[in-house]
Amino acid sequence: MTPIFHFDGIYTPVLTPYAPDGSVHWDRLADVVEWLVENGVNGLISGGSTGENYAQTVVERIEIARFTHERLKGRLPLVVGTGAMLTDDSIALATDAREMGADAILLASPPYAVPTDRENALNALAIDRAANLPVMLYNYPGRTGTCMGEEFLDRVGRSRNFCGIKESSGDINRVHLLARDYPHIQLGCGMDDQALEFFAWGAPFWVCGGSNFLPREHVALYKACVIEGDFAKGRRIMSALLPLMRVLEQGGKFVATIKYGVTMQGIDCTDVRAPLKPLNKDDKRALEQVVAVVKRTVAAIEAEG
Amino acid sequence: MDLLTAEEYRALAAELNPPTGAFIDGGFRQAASGKTFDSVNPATGAVVAKVASCGPEDVDVAVEKAREAFDDGRWSRLHPAERKDVLIRLCKLMARNARELAVMESVDSGKTIFDCETVDVPEAINFIKWHAEAIDKIYDSVSPASDDHIAMVVREPVGVVGLVLPWNFPLLMMAWKIGPALASGCSVVLKPAEETSLTALRLAELAMEAGVPRGVLNVLPGMGADVGEPIGRHMDIDVVSFTGSTETGMKFLSYAAESNAKEVVLEMGGKNPAIVMDDAENLDRVAAHIVNGAYWNMGENCSATSRLIVHEAVKAPLLERIEAHAREWPVGDPLDPEVRVGALVSKAHFDKVASYLDADLQVIFGGEAKDGFVAPTCIETDASSPQATEEIFGPVLSVLTVSSFDEAIALANDTPYGLCASLFTANAKRAIRGARMLKAGTVTVNSFGEGDITTPFGGWKQSGFGGRDNGLQAHDQYTQLKTIWIDLSDDGDEAVD
Repeated sequence: MTPIFHFDGIYTPVLTPYAPDGSVHWDRLADVVEWLVENGVNGLISGGSTGENYAQTVVERIEIARFTHERLKGRLPLVVGTGAMLTDDSIALATDAREMGADAILLASPPYAVPTDRENALNALAIDRAANLPVMLYNYPGRTGTCMGEEFLDRVGRSRNFCGIKESSGDINRVHLLARDYPHIQLGCGMDDQALEFFAWGAPFWVCGGSNFLPREHVALYKACVIEGDFAKGRRIMSALLPLMRVLEQGGKFVATIKYGVTMQGIDCTDVRAPLKPLNKDDKRALEQVVAVVKRTVAAIEAEG
Repeated sequence: MDLLTAEEYRALAAELNPPTGAFIDGGFRQAASGKTFDSVNPATGAVVAKVASCGPEDVDVAVEKAREAFDDGRWSRLHPAERKDVLIRLCKLMARNARELAVMESVDSGKTIFDCETVDVPEAINFIKWHAEAIDKIYDSVSPASDDHIAMVVREPVGVVGLVLPWNFPLLMMAWKIGPALASGCSVVLKPAEETSLTALRLAELAMEAGVPRGVLNVLPGMGADVGEPIGRHMDIDVVSFTGSTETGMKFLSYAAESNAKEVVLEMGGKNPAIVMDDAENLDRVAAHIVNGAYWNMGENCSATSRLIVHEAVKAPLLERIEAHAREWPVGDPLDPEVRVGALVSKAHFDKVASYLDADLQVIFGGEAKDGFVAPTCIETDASSPQATEEIFGPVLSVLTVSSFDEAIALANDTPYGLCASLFTANAKRAIRGARMLKAGTVTVNSFGEGDITTPFGGWKQSGFGGRDNGLQAHDQYTQLKTIWIDLSDDGDEAVD
């Protein structure tokens, strides 16, 4: 299947650095963007949950996306997140994504409302109409309370823009369903600890928060599995990455962990917005240890060629 | 139906958001190749949508899914009453979305909103409903075999059918074909004409909403060579029902012969005569019928009255009245409900129709062709001219003069086509004799028409064969006969005795 847009490789959902007073720290955001470009990720997502979109106003989100787009200068594709409680907010984000020249939008189910598949599809089509850009769907029932079911997928296909899905349900049956029955929608890994399984089913892209601070290691897994088709090597890299996944997926600490991970790379991003808190001393030490081991192990596997 | 104003229709047209993907296995997707084509509003030249341009790979997937659906019985073995319920639900959804369908049809095809609102959409609903309601009222039969046997003659759905549609009545022709095909329990792989795919895709979406199970109805927009031919050549399609040009229809015969000997049903062109005898009553009414037959749907109609064969005694007064009636067929923006003649379906087709008006013609009225629009035209010509023998498929009426009844019948039959014919006479004997002598699938007396859903429609000669649309006979295309022969004799007992 040839979609209208290829989501290939590692798409990093960029975090949002804050100043101690809670405002966006623009210089550090610029540094993060620069650092990700230099370190070889394949695309950026602005305004995902890793970017703390739930704690930002629509105006702020648009400002952040515009800033990111300007800094990127077209070097990598930019996907703008449109997930919001209100359809009107999503439409405003989608409209601005088009106007700023974004390459695609990320489209999630509205959280909390628990729409039916039909309602959810009509909502998605309304947002798509505003953007008329390639759409990366974002299925994350754990956070939205709604799964993008078959009826949803069948209905949104009426627009050719729906050409990718970031699948974050964690249900392996969903991977099978998407790969077999929806080959026209590019499958993307949104569940970090299943990345190897996604790649085995032909997923061409992976949206991973951890690539904010370990871009090379995430790219290494993508290259082994997708570019080289070497799943033995892929399994070894995945095995090295799994302890990281474990540290990341501990309720409430995902964003703070990623922000500290980036801080460890020399760009201070420690602060998070309420209700979350930064990592404590023990969590920081655990992450430092895991990161050191992941880097060393993946470098060794890579060195073997 | 209360019509809106032109401004209101234009506002609705601006808001249209038609589906653009291929409808396969109950959902929309892009073409496997990723290719699209532009769907153009012929009245303005504007691109309405970029539609998935399917190819053989998509046909393969759709047929596979259709076959899967047919074989597991999710539709084919559903209780007939349940199939009926689903299709009637589809009709209700069509009615609820009638205005959107009408505007979409007009914008996509150039047809007038007046026709879309008053004919195409309501008729399409009515036709599907009629077949849906017939589902559980068609009985099989038991043959008068000997007492030792029971022989049942039953009809069973044929399997996967390929339906290939023309662009002149996109919704209506879809209804003509999917009505009986789905009612019979078949699975469908349908190709709308590339000029007019939008309402077919929207109808598929409504079918999904109505509960037609996935895989049962698949709609593949695309070019003839990419979708039509692969359907014609597919080894796992059981029947192809085609409506369109005679030239393309004949290709389907060779595709069938070169693949799996699938059954082919063809509804093709026409060069339909209307004979007006010197004893015809009420020439004013005759003229109204002739004008309707010739100019309705811009003459883009296989059953259009394209040859007026008129007795010399009534020629002058009849032509005068025809011209007067044609003045009531204004040409213009199809979205203006006052307009009766919209744009021809495409630039290419306009050029073709206009080329017939280039010649040195004896124009009685009309003759103007500009920017996709052709005015209702009436020309006097001799029986051997291209204007009198070839299917123009535009609003062009050719007039031929005769001096006797037999001459009229002979001239009417002197064509490779045989779709429709009309005869206007007040002489009952002549009417019935003429109706019998005219070689055409439908003959109307003292009127122009095609019958309705209750009467079979189809052509003779090169206008088609293999089956009929409309009427209960339409179900025959999508079913096959089976004889079930059961031996009741008790051989064992006889041996003991």
